[in-house]
Amino acid sequence: MTAGRIFYFAFVIAALVFLVAPLAVIVWASFFADKTLSFPPSGYTLDWYARAWDMEEFARGFVMSTQVAVCATLTSLALGVPASLAIERFRFPGRETLRHVLLAPMYVPAIVAGAAVYLYYIQVEIATTLQLTATFPGLLAAHTLVALPWTMRLVTASLAANGSLAEEAARSLGANAFQTFFYVTLPVIRPGLIAAALFSFIASFTELEMSLFLVGPGKTTLPIAIVNYLEWNLDSTIAAVATVQIFIIGTALLVSDRFVNLGKAF
Amino acid sequence: MLEGKTRLRAGALVFPALLLVAVFLLAPIGLILRFSLDVYDPSTLMKGVFSAENYVKLLKDPFYTGVLLFTAQVAALSTAVCLLLGYPVAYFISRSPSEKLRSILIILTVLPLLMGNAVRSAAWMVVMGSNGMINGLLLALGVINEPIKILYTPTAVVIGLVSVLMPFAIITLQSVLDSIPVSLEEAGRSLGYSPLRTLWAVVMPLSIPGIVAAGAICFCLAMNAYATPVLIGGPSVHMMGPLVFQQIAKVGNWPFGSALAWVLMMVTLVMTVISATYLNRKYF
Amino acid sequence: MAVTLTKLVKAYGEMRAVDDVSVAIREGELLALLGPSGCGKTTTLRIVAGFVEPDSGTVHFGDRDVTRVPVHKRKVGMVFQGYALFPHLSVAENVEFGLKVRGWDKPKVAERVKEMLDWVQLGALSERRPRQLSGGQQQRVALARAMAIKPDVLLLDEPFSALDAKLRLQMRTEIRELQQSAGITSVFVTHDQDEAMAIADRIGVMNHGKLEQLGSAEDLYQRPVSRFVAGFIGKCNFIEGRVVSPGRFETKAGQGLQFTGEHAVGPAALCFRPEHAQLTSGPTPGNAIPVMVKAVTYLGPSTEYELVAGSGEKLLVTAGSVSGRAAEQGAKVSLAWKPEDTFVVSD
Repeated sequence: MTAGRIFYFAFVIAALVFLVAPLAVIVWASFFADKTLSFPPSGYTLDWYARAWDMEEFARGFVMSTQVAVCATLTSLALGVPASLAIERFRFPGRETLRHVLLAPMYVPAIVAGAAVYLYYIQVEIATTLQLTATFPGLLAAHTLVALPWTMRLVTASLAANGSLAEEAARSLGANAFQTFFYVTLPVIRPGLIAAALFSFIASFTELEMSLFLVGPGKTTLPIAIVNYLEWNLDSTIAAVATVQIFIIGTALLVSDRFVNLGKAF
Repeated sequence: MLEGKTRLRAGALVFPALLLVAVFLLAPIGLILRFSLDVYDPSTLMKGVFSAENYVKLLKDPFYTGVLLFTAQVAALSTAVCLLLGYPVAYFISRSPSEKLRSILIILTVLPLLMGNAVRSAAWMVVMGSNGMINGLLLALGVINEPIKILYTPTAVVIGLVSVLMPFAIITLQSVLDSIPVSLEEAGRSLGYSPLRTLWAVVMPLSIPGIVAAGAICFCLAMNAYATPVLIGGPSVHMMGPLVFQQIAKVGNWPFGSALAWVLMMVTLVMTVISATYLNRKYF
Repeated sequence: MAVTLTKLVKAYGEMRAVDDVSVAIREGELLALLGPSGCGKTTTLRIVAGFVEPDSGTVHFGDRDVTRVPVHKRKVGMVFQGYALFPHLSVAENVEFGLKVRGWDKPKVAERVKEMLDWVQLGALSERRPRQLSGGQQQRVALARAMAIKPDVLLLDEPFSALDAKLRLQMRTEIRELQQSAGITSVFVTHDQDEAMAIADRIGVMNHGKLEQLGSAEDLYQRPVSRFVAGFIGKCNFIEGRVVSPGRFETKAGQGLQFTGEHAVGPAALCFRPEHAQLTSGPTPGNAIPVMVKAVTYLGPSTEYELVAGSGEKLLVTAGSVSGRAAEQGAKVSLAWKPEDTFVVSD
């Protein structure tokens, strides 16, 4: 173990600490007893969690984020799974282009997409009187856009890793397309589907920039509530709220890890 | 199976998703391209003409040019720091002997990423604020007498951005390093190069496509950032992301806001093309 | 330069990958480490190279103890499985790679590169990239690159496994000639016994980390010291039983047979090679047991007879086809062979 190697290990550990430490710090701070943030804390308490829930903004934001995320996940799966099947199991010209088009939401900056969709909704309203801004469906469409690439990537990877051999065997034994899908394909890609669902949920739950444009007055998502609060206050209450989000996302990740080897998913 | 039937089936399966993307993403982006070429009017919102004046304004008005340049500088600096810090970590993960350790490291790297920018910015504020952890530690140790201003400075924004960007850099670099066989490094060492020199002479040149790709991704993410500049930069730091939001949602100058958005879009597109072509260049 | 390995041990957890291996490799010798996958031959090679540090034991290059010396400070030339040529460099740049770090000045480097490329007959391809070369050419570049630095020992890790059968035969002779012309002490690792027997001066047969036998091809074939070596090198017939007294063996069926060579009294296996035995019908001097012919396979120059002995053992005889068929399928005959061609092994 030379000096060089020790330095190398220390460097890598320091970099990882840099990445993870802020999260650990904010979780720690959520339990501080002081009204205003101070290090070191004078004591610990669970009060802020209760207080956060009592604050309308956070409670409503939490509920809205959960609702949108669940719906966006379902819609994303409903659209993304068939699309993934088409791309991985069929051959047709323009297949690769289509794959990239469906991943496009990942390449468009969130702030740009948010602005674009917002202005678009307004134009649609002007042209057809159909209101989309400040509506749940309008917000849902944007969140589905955010979730779709995650669904596509994870389901196509799952389909690609489990080739079509079993499906071809099923077809040769007389199963039709639906039966093959439900009895052969679905069970095999189930881990990928679960991971896709969880990652889509995470992507939607944490979405900020598009939601900023599209939530209506009186409505908010949890990330927006957090950002709004932080523009004026920095205390243990917001630390508690952030910790709740960390806990939810962390749980979703741990659950996905059971189904998909996260080390290989990226 | 008939060709036509297959295509029809594939088309039906893919249509809903394609429709969503076309209607809710591609069309809107096209729309704001059109808006960016329009002119703002306080009463009618837009005049309905074609003009490049928004882009000209961006390039001529010192304030806006300043914002663009500042954002680019911050993005470039963050990208550079990110690559410097991320490369050794990516190498460590790529060459780590046990699968289990590798998995754990990748999860640790990706975990902060998935928490969302709002939470991460909040976390950095708690660390860097005047009542935050760093100041608390320095005060308690007696190193300083008064809290130092870390938050709401460009430096803080760079730190915040680096922590957002690093996971992307690490994952991209790690996957490229995986494709460089260990036997090449062993060959270098057997020929007399120390491990560090082998890294420089053998691994680094071969990982350049990965470095370019990682750099492009980081630069884009930094240019387009919103939560980090807003929360960690504060009101005195002006960057493109918050400016787009302000112009469109607060000021109501849609044409100009659209132009700003399109500039960001263009930078992202160019970077994506660069990184995609670079990633395809392989020696093997 | 002679290379000496003394009592090398390398364990991973409970498993000993290299178990007390000692070899004195002579200067200029081509030694083969031969054995099945997982026998420890590659680990041993990597210990000599310096990529793996042994738990105990030493490696000497000449008089110099290099056991704890890092790879880049030893002078080893290594040819890797898959060649590990630097894809971003040309052939010439690959070959000069080891010279640049040693501070040779440019004219000397260029001269040496030319010398090496001529030696492997690739002078015309010096500007090509590795991916533009065939497998055999890549291997020659790898060899030139390794030898350019004038190493103390040349190490080759399964050098021919990536080549097709025909190329393999051609390359192994070429590499042998090149190695002899340079007079460099060399060790190569293989699982292919034909290869080892064809080109190595001596062969070290390894199994489960242990060096079972070290000797020339003839030593290993005619006088194997263990059941594993007897069975691994060429084909061998085994009859189980026990040694009752020097030179006398008793089969499980109680039949007495004679053998040459020494072996302790106790359970053992009697061995003889398929080409040393004949099928006869009458009484013969020497060893003989009754067998039934299970199958006859005509292979062109030789014919193989698969036999089943009274005690159920499967045996094999090969005979030249020139003398015609010795027996037909189903025949009950006598299998006879000389005591001089018989040896006894245990595990």
